[in-house]
Formats: sequence, C-alpha cells, structure tokens
Amino acid sequence: MSDSENITRTHLPKGRSLWRDGLRRLRKRKFAMVCFVVVLIYFSLAAFIYLAEFFDWRIGPTLWAEQVGPSYAPPSSVNYLGTDIFGQSVCRKTLYGTKISITVALCASFISIAIGVPLGAIAGYFRGVVDEIIVWIYSTLSSIPYILLILAFAVVLRDKTIFGYKITGITAVYLAIGLTSWVGICRLIRGEVIKHKGREYILAAISYGCSERRIIFKHLIPNVFHLIIIDFSLRFVAFIHAEVILSFLGLGEADRPSWGAMINDARIELSRGVWWQMAAATAAIFFISLALNIFGDALRDSLDPKLRIQ
Amino acid sequence: MTSYIIRRLLYTIPIVFGVLLLTFVLFTLVGGDISIEIAGKGATQETIEEIREEYGLNKPLFLAWDSQFINHFKSALTFDFGRARDREPIIGKIKRGVGPSLALTVPMFFGIVIISVSLALVVASVRGSIWDILAVFICVAGMSIPYLSFILFGQYFLAYKWGLFPVFFSPDLTMAQYVALPVLIGIAAGLGGNLRFYRTVMLDEMRSDYVRTAFAKGLDTKRVLFKHVLKNAMVPIITRVVLAIPFLFLGSLLLERFFGIPGLGYLMIEAISSRDYFVINAMTYISAILFVVFNLITDICYSLVDPRISLE
Amino acid sequence: MFIMKRKGKKLLVIALIAITFTLSGCNSSPSEEDSDEMVLRHVLFTKIKGLDPGNVRDVYSNTVTSQICETLYQYHFLKRPYEIVPLLAEGMPQISDDFLTYTIKIKKGVRFQDDKCFPGGRGRELKAEDFIFAIKRTANIKYLSQNWSMFDGKIAGLDEFRRITKGCESEEDVDYSREVEGLTASDEHTLVIKLKKPWPQLVGTALADIATAPIAKEAVYSYGRDIVSHPVGTGPFILKEWRRGSYVELIRNPNFRGEPYPSEGGPGDAKAGYLDDAGRIMPFADRIVWTVIEEYQPAWLLFLQGKVDNSPIPKDNYNEAITETRELTPAMKQRNIRLEKFSDPSTFWLGFNMQDSVLGKNKPLRRAISYAIDREEFIEIFFNGRHLVAHGIIPPLMDSYDPNIKEKGYARYDPEKGRELLKEAEKINGGQLPVLKMAVPGTDSFYRQFGQFLKRHLTAIGVNVDVEYMDWPTYMEKVNTRSVQMFCSGVRASIPDAEDFLGMFYSKYWAPGSNRFNYLNPEFDKLYEKIEVMFDSPERRELYRKMELIVLEDCPAAFLNHRVVFALHHDWYKNYKPHAFAYGMSKYRRIDMKKRAEYKDLLKKIK
Repeated sequence: MSDSENITRTHLPKGRSLWRDGLRRLRKRKFAMVCFVVVLIYFSLAAFIYLAEFFDWRIGPTLWAEQVGPSYAPPSSVNYLGTDIFGQSVCRKTLYGTKISITVALCASFISIAIGVPLGAIAGYFRGVVDEIIVWIYSTLSSIPYILLILAFAVVLRDKTIFGYKITGITAVYLAIGLTSWVGICRLIRGEVIKHKGREYILAAISYGCSERRIIFKHLIPNVFHLIIIDFSLRFVAFIHAEVILSFLGLGEADRPSWGAMINDARIELSRGVWWQMAAATAAIFFISLALNIFGDALRDSLDPKLRIQ
Repeated sequence: MTSYIIRRLLYTIPIVFGVLLLTFVLFTLVGGDISIEIAGKGATQETIEEIREEYGLNKPLFLAWDSQFINHFKSALTFDFGRARDREPIIGKIKRGVGPSLALTVPMFFGIVIISVSLALVVASVRGSIWDILAVFICVAGMSIPYLSFILFGQYFLAYKWGLFPVFFSPDLTMAQYVALPVLIGIAAGLGGNLRFYRTVMLDEMRSDYVRTAFAKGLDTKRVLFKHVLKNAMVPIITRVVLAIPFLFLGSLLLERFFGIPGLGYLMIEAISSRDYFVINAMTYISAILFVVFNLITDICYSLVDPRISLE
Repeated sequence: MFIMKRKGKKLLVIALIAITFTLSGCNSSPSEEDSDEMVLRHVLFTKIKGLDPGNVRDVYSNTVTSQICETLYQYHFLKRPYEIVPLLAEGMPQISDDFLTYTIKIKKGVRFQDDKCFPGGRGRELKAEDFIFAIKRTANIKYLSQNWSMFDGKIAGLDEFRRITKGCESEEDVDYSREVEGLTASDEHTLVIKLKKPWPQLVGTALADIATAPIAKEAVYSYGRDIVSHPVGTGPFILKEWRRGSYVELIRNPNFRGEPYPSEGGPGDAKAGYLDDAGRIMPFADRIVWTVIEEYQPAWLLFLQGKVDNSPIPKDNYNEAITETRELTPAMKQRNIRLEKFSDPSTFWLGFNMQDSVLGKNKPLRRAISYAIDREEFIEIFFNGRHLVAHGIIPPLMDSYDPNIKEKGYARYDPEKGRELLKEAEKINGGQLPVLKMAVPGTDSFYRQFGQFLKRHLTAIGVNVDVEYMDWPTYMEKVNTRSVQMFCSGVRASIPDAEDFLGMFYSKYWAPGSNRFNYLNPEFDKLYEKIEVMFDSPERRELYRKMELIVLEDCPAAFLNHRVVFALHHDWYKNYKPHAFAYGMSKYRRIDMKKRAEYKDLLKKIK
C-alpha cells in the first residue's frame, strides 16, 4: 500500500455539535416528533387566526360571534361541540381560544426570557455587588406565593396607563405572568454562567482581551442556549395554565372567547347539565399541554450532554 | 453552626425588606387611591379628605419620618396589621382562617408526599418496564389537565351528581365533611407533577456509581432502593417538602374559592378583588416571613442529612 | 434513620387525622335539629359588613341590623299602598305651618336590650336624646358614615356641627353634647326637629331608615370601633353570634316590650292567611340564623333540603322550579313550596355620559342605541323572561308610574329606525362615529355575557363598541370621576316615592353624586327644586310625569328593565308577604313547627 492511500483512507470523524447530535437523537423518538407536530398545529392555528383577522377573512374561528343555533344546544351533527348561552358555536370558540392562549404564553415567555436571561448572565458573570442585587430581587419575588404574585400584579396593572399606552385585560395578564416568572430561568442561567466562567475557553477569551459584552453574548449565552429552549418549552405549558386561572378569576380577556373564560362559564352551566363547553376547553388545553410536556422532556433528554453517545 | 445561622438570619433581613418594598410599591404607588371607593356614593370632597387622613393616605410617600412607607414598615415589623376595610382586626381574620386552611392543605400535603414518594419507589424498581412508561404517561397527562378542570369535574360528579360529598361549605357541616372532597381533588391534581419529580430523583440516584456497585455485589432492587437510594435521595426530597410548607398556610386559593372554605386563601382572593390592601399586605408579609424561615430550616436540615454539604 | 423516618411519617399522619377529627368536633355551629325552638333560617349571598346602624348601607347588613335596632317610623307590613306608621314614635309627627318644625313624641317605657355596657347590665329607657345622638353621629365627619348625604343641608345647625367635628382629633373626641339648633328634646320623650327648608320625605326617608335608629350611647363609648359587632338596640332580637363570613345568629330579646301583630291589612290579606296572627304579641321566633353562602347553587340545594326557609330562584334552576306559564312545577308543588311574585321598584339601564364629547351632543346617536337593544330577548336570556321592559325611569310600583309610558320614550326594539338615526348621528358627528366605550361593573360570567349581549346588538345596527369589564371599585372610580362614556347601572327605590329616581337627573347631583349621567337641563332642575318641597299630592304626581317625559326626550340612557322577583318559600314559613321597602320583617314571621318536622318524611316519600 502506498502512503497516499493510507493518507486518504484515514480521515477525521466529522465533529458533531450539540445541536446536530440533539436533533438526531430527537428525531429517533417517534412519539416526541408526533407531539411536535401537534404543537406546530396549535401554533399554526393561532397564526392563521391572526392572519384571518388581519385580512378580515370570514371563516370558521373568526366568526365565533355568529349565532349558529339555539341557546345551549348539545353537540350534534350540525354543531359538533354544541352551543353556548348565545347560541354561538363552541367549536369555533375553542378554535379561537387557541389564539389567545398561544399569544399569552408566547408574550409571557418572551418577557420572562428577556428579563431573566440577561439578568442571570450579568449576575453570573460579574458577581460582586451586581450579583447580590439581582439575587436579592429574585429571592424577594420567590418568597411570595406564585399565584398571589400573579394575581396581585394583574389586578394592579389593569387599567393603568403606562407611557400613554393603556393596559387592557389580556395585556395585564401576560405582563403579570412575564414579570413574575423570570426567576427560574434567571437562576438557571446564572448557575450555568458561574460554572462556565471557570472554563478554559472563557479564561482564554479574557486573556486575549475579549470585551465583556462579546464574551457574554458570543460565548456564554450560545452555550446555555439549549437550557433556554428547554425552559421555554416547559414554561409554556405553565403559562397556558396560568392564563386559565387568571381568566377564571375574572382577570383575563373578557370580550373574546378564551379557554379560561369558557371554563369559568362552565361552572354555572354544569349544574344545568351543559357540559360541552367545559369539555371542549379542557380537551384543547390538555392536548397542547401533553404534547409540549412530552416534547419538552424529549428535548431535554436529547440535548443533555451527559447522555451523548459517542 | 451558630455563626452560620446568624449569617443566614442576617441575610433574611434584606429579603423581608424587599418584600415590604414590593408590596408597598405595588399597592400604594401603582394601586391607586382607594379613598374614593371607601367613601361610597355621593361622598363630598370633605369626606374623601377625612378618609385619607384616617388611613394615613395623605402623608408623604417616602421621605419623612412619618411617611407612608415608614408606617408600612413599622406596622409589619411589630405585626400590628391594623384593621381591614370592614373594620375587623386583621389578626382576627387570620386567626379564623388558619384553621380551615390548614385542615385543607395539611392532609393534602401529607397525602401527596406519602403517595408520590411511595409510588416513585415502586416505579423506580420497575424502571424501563411497561409500567414505568405507563406511570410516566399518566403523570404527564395529569399535569396537562388544568387544575380548574380537576376541581370542576370532581365537584360536579362526586358531589353534585352522585352526592357522595357536600357540594359546598356550610357552617353546620363538620370540618372533616367539607374538607374531604377538596383534599381528594387536591391530591389527585398534585400527584402527577410530584410523582414525576420524585421518580426523576430516584432514577438519578440509581444511575450513580455506588448503586451500580451495589447491584454488582448482587443486592436485589428492593434493598438497594430502601437502604441506599432513598437515603441519598432525601436531600432533594426534603428540599421540596420543606419548601412547600410555608405555602400550606395560605391554603389553596382555588380549592377554597370553589368550595367556599373560609380559609386564608379565600380571604386573599376576596382581599384582592375588593382591593383591601391592608389584608393583602399583611398576608404577603406573613407568607414571605414563613418562606424565609423555612428556607433556613431546609439549609440546616441539609447539613444534618448530608455531612458532605458544607455550611458555607 | 430511614426506618425512623418512615415510622415517623406514619405517626404524623395518624396524629394529623386525629387532630382533624377533634378539630371538626370543636367547630360548633348553630345545630340543626332543635327541640321546640322556633328558628328562622335564611341565606345571605354576600358577607355583611357590620351591624352598626349609623353606617349600614348595603342590603344584607341592613336586613340583619333592622331586627336588632328599630326606627321612629316604619312602613306598615301589610297595607298597600305603602303607609308609614309609628314604631318607636307615639304617633305621627306634629308639623308646624311653615313645614319646618316637626314635633315627635317618643313611646314611653321602651328599653334598650340588656348589655354589659349599661351599669348593672340592665338596658335603660329610650329617650329623645338617643335619636339626637344617632343623627349627630352621622354628622360626625370622623365617623365616616356613608349616610351623611341624607342629611346634608337639611337640618338647622347640623352642617355647622359637622364642620366643627372636622377640627377634632378623632371620632371619640367629638363632643356630642354640643347644641345643634335643629335637634332638640323639649322633654325626655319629645323630639323636636327644625329644618332649613321643607323636607316632605323626612319621615319616610330619614326617620324610617336604619341610619336614625337609636343606639345606646353607652355602647358606642364602651365598644369604640368594635361597635360594628356589638349593636345595642331596642328591637325584638339581639345579637348572639356573628361569625364573620360564616353566619349571623340572633336570639329573641327577652326584654322586648312586645308589639302586636297588625290587625288590618291590604286587599286579599285575610284570604291569604296574613291576618291569622292578628293581635298576637311579636316576635314569634326564638332564633334567626343567616348563613353566608356566596354561590347560588349550594344555597338552592339547601333550600330544597328544607334547611333554609326561603330562597330566590337561581337563573340556572329556573326551569326546575317554574313552568312556561310562570307557575310552580309539579316538583315544587310536591314539596309544598310556595311562590311569591312581586314587582321590585327598580330600574336598570345603559346610561350615557351627557358630558361626553361624542354622546352628549348627539341625540340621534343615543336614541339609535336605545332602539338597537332587544329588551325582550335580554329579559328572556338573563332573567328567564320574568322582568318587565322599562320604558321610562319610574318603576311600576310607584303611584306616579304612567301606565301609558309605553308609547312614549325610545325603549322599543327597532333596529331599522336605529340605522336611520345612525345616519343622522354621523352627520352631526361630522363623519364616521368612533368606537364607543362601555363600562361594565363586573368581570364574572354574568357580566361578561351581559356585555357581549349589548355589544352584539349595537354592532348589528352599526355602532362599534369596546366593552370594558372592570371590578366594582374601578367602575365606581370611573363613574365618579366622570370618565365613562356608557355605563351599566341601575337603582332600587328605598321609599315608595320616585323622588330619588328623578334626583338622578338633577344637575346639582352630578357624579360623584347620584346623577351619573351628568345630565343638565335647566327646566328639569327648576321643576325638581319645586317638587323637593312639595308634599304628596296629585299635582306632584303630574309634575313627576312631566319631568319623566323631559328626561325621556333627551334620552340620557337606554332604559332596560324593571325587576320582578320570584321568591320561593316553604309552606311552614308563615306571614311572608314581600315588602319592597322595609327590612325589619323577622318579627312577623312564624314557623309552623309541625309542617317543618314533617318535611323530612315528605322528602323521603318523594324519592
């Protein structure tokens, strides 16, 4: 054998990034992928409704206010999920509710990530006084029971005008949820940043004069990004449930159908034997929560560096 | 040890201060002027001014010895919460509410902990099998159903339709009677998440080296679980359990609201909807104190259970 | 250590269950089956706020307090049309020729209930001084009574008194012995009231209202702030226990002077059995228990089980109780449950803020909105079709109600006309109308559906609405600061005279007063000032109708409905004649003990 042949035959194995690897492992779990599809369906539905409202298409969910039958008609071949007190289609209302829930959860997620991640990174990186202050803030927030905190924020923020912009019901909800839920991600990021700070690559970056901003944004955050994604997917479910509770307590979107409002109505309706609104809303929440939970778990397992098979 | 405790206690002071500051900012600054509402219909400007004076609302906010914030601070530290909007001393309300709240949350708490830890052990022993997967699935499913739906379905079927339990609180019922159904529902709804957590903890332990050694030595699963895994899993379990205790006092806001149980949770919801800031402040403060105290207890327990953890 | 932990846990569990059970035993409450005691049982749908007559304003607190504290005058229980009769007074007041001085004689020998605030614990005799004290107390600005608006500017010297109290440090510092010109006692049992200008409603409004019920000075001084839970009055019942948020229990006042049950009544009363107890000494009941249950469902269940004597009909159980023809269903008749229907003197509306730049100057717009609402459907969906459509302000119970009001005003459902008017409205507005805002005072299911209903109907004629659901405090704040455009509200009369209803359109009562519409019409104002000092007469009634028409023309609100109440009660609950204005009715009620005891067996037979 000649030397050239030896050289061409030995090649370095292609490096696999965490992401590629994770994606590969994830795709192997069929059930998790099914769940991902379910999640996509919900998101697409919400996006579709936004589009439909923007372009004023009059189909299905946007026509939720139309009276399609008598008051409180049970599920039938005409109205698959029955009607509510005004004869509106429960089916359409449930579909419309997707938009509200997804919006709330998305906005709340963005707010909490937008607050939690930078704060966590700064606290973990700079330590010292800055760290103490940030830890103090989130310790304070976490000593108050979660529901209480959200309720209090939602009630207080309602109808307030900040910088000339009036906070309506649903905005108060996701502001309240977002402003109180960043603690978890903040702690997580802070812990990871502290761990990473001692690693060689950071020390190397510091030694050759990399600016702090660059270190944080170009090195640290990308390395903890997978944690953010996991947290996001798991938090999302909690936010949907939080919206339900807030709507139930009268703090949510009152004018348009939302799952929480439907369950709230159901409270009185059940004693009349009207179960379909309740069942529809619960089912809608159940499937997205289940799908997200399973997918989130799978995601976590896939991205867990300890479980990488080399 | 004592120096550690003292240091931790000192650390709680800024937290408590933070809580007081937060409640003050939320309810006094952002919350708005409640004197108009207290004054009622047809009140003249005079009456409104009177009310502001009565409740100390016309004092400066921060920068004075007699400012609202200082008063807020003072009343909290001396546990003098004053009276609620309906003139009843707040301490009285709290005393009345503690009983029903605890009657609800304590059995629920014990039920959840005992059942989920036991089940977690069982599930861990059959890990990987079809039962394990089924158990996980049921847990996740349970976590995906909104809490409210649990309550509504439970109330509708078990109480209203089949009449097994009273539908709602009524003063002529004994505590055991009106608390039974909410406790059951609370346990059912809380099992999912807790079981999953404990299972994860157990499984993590089981992956560690010493367990592999034990199995290699030939010990059977049961012994491994009870003798080794459980003990070492105690740390995260205790953390979770002890940290849950402060929240027991507030009762379960939703369960109490639904079943009309006159506990602290119900008190909170009413206070929030009627903007009774005096009550809200008092309750938030108390729960924060409890939380902080129990955090300290947790840390001490840590050190007792696991000598490896240094008291730094 | 681990074994101990397991055992420890088990022990804890057992201990806890044991504690829970013993605690449950300690949770005493008014017991269910009582021997021969006659107990009245009712439900309160909200917590009561206090039992201090000087500061009672809400319906439920009033209901309970009125059994403990009595007033000078009361409305006759049975007579219709409603009549004022003396209660603590010796007779009707002597009125001077200029209508400014009222001389009232107090009954002699009336005693306050026994209470430890009196020396020796024995209740002392009621004097004219006690009424003066009660009214002065309302004037005390430090007391923060919500009832002051009733007396504002009416009694000579009282406003000055109020001004003086402003300078006092606290409520307790006020010197009540300070003379007030308009409130004097010419002797121990004679009260003299001097007014600033004629006040025909003095007797009906103030002297029959719980705000002027005498309360023992000794009690106020000895209990201070806790007086809200320690009322000391002259009434037929005394407070036994008030477990806040749970229940209130009253027992018979052993020192009550005794009042005879009325021997005269209105038409049909004898036949209905309301005169069966004529002449007997009241009260008949030994105890009254009100349980606080804030949801309708459980209360309804308790009623069906016989644990509560009477109940309104929850909207969602309506079909269970009432048939299409507005009669009792067989299920109710089987249980010997009785139905009382009565017209509640109330009006509800969607109000417009007349000072709003869009709505205020646009009469066609307001009328269009009024035409857009299908009131019949509204009543059908939300009130089981029970209520009456409101064409005007004055409810049917008042004798100034115009039976032909239907033809006047804009309360018809006419969407076509509405759309026509809308075109005119756009012209006046100078272009397309902006989105209007509607304030709804609640965020629960009922209000949400209510708001949605109105929105649908307005959208149908082309008016775009943004409904804002707020909780009560926020709503009140908005209304009081005149920052609403449209609002949902209503009023219930507390006297059989429509003056309060008309007062809502008097410009001096702009928000935060009762004129939430901020309506201004000088012609109306002149007429109002005229009727304010007129005594009841056919002329006055004519003026009322004239004023109503003026208001209807200007359309400051889309009037919706007048309430009609359907109330159920068990047949053992006797002497239950619905009274629209009075609260102290428990003394008249009687329980047929035999029928009550038989109810359990009756239920078993039905099952």
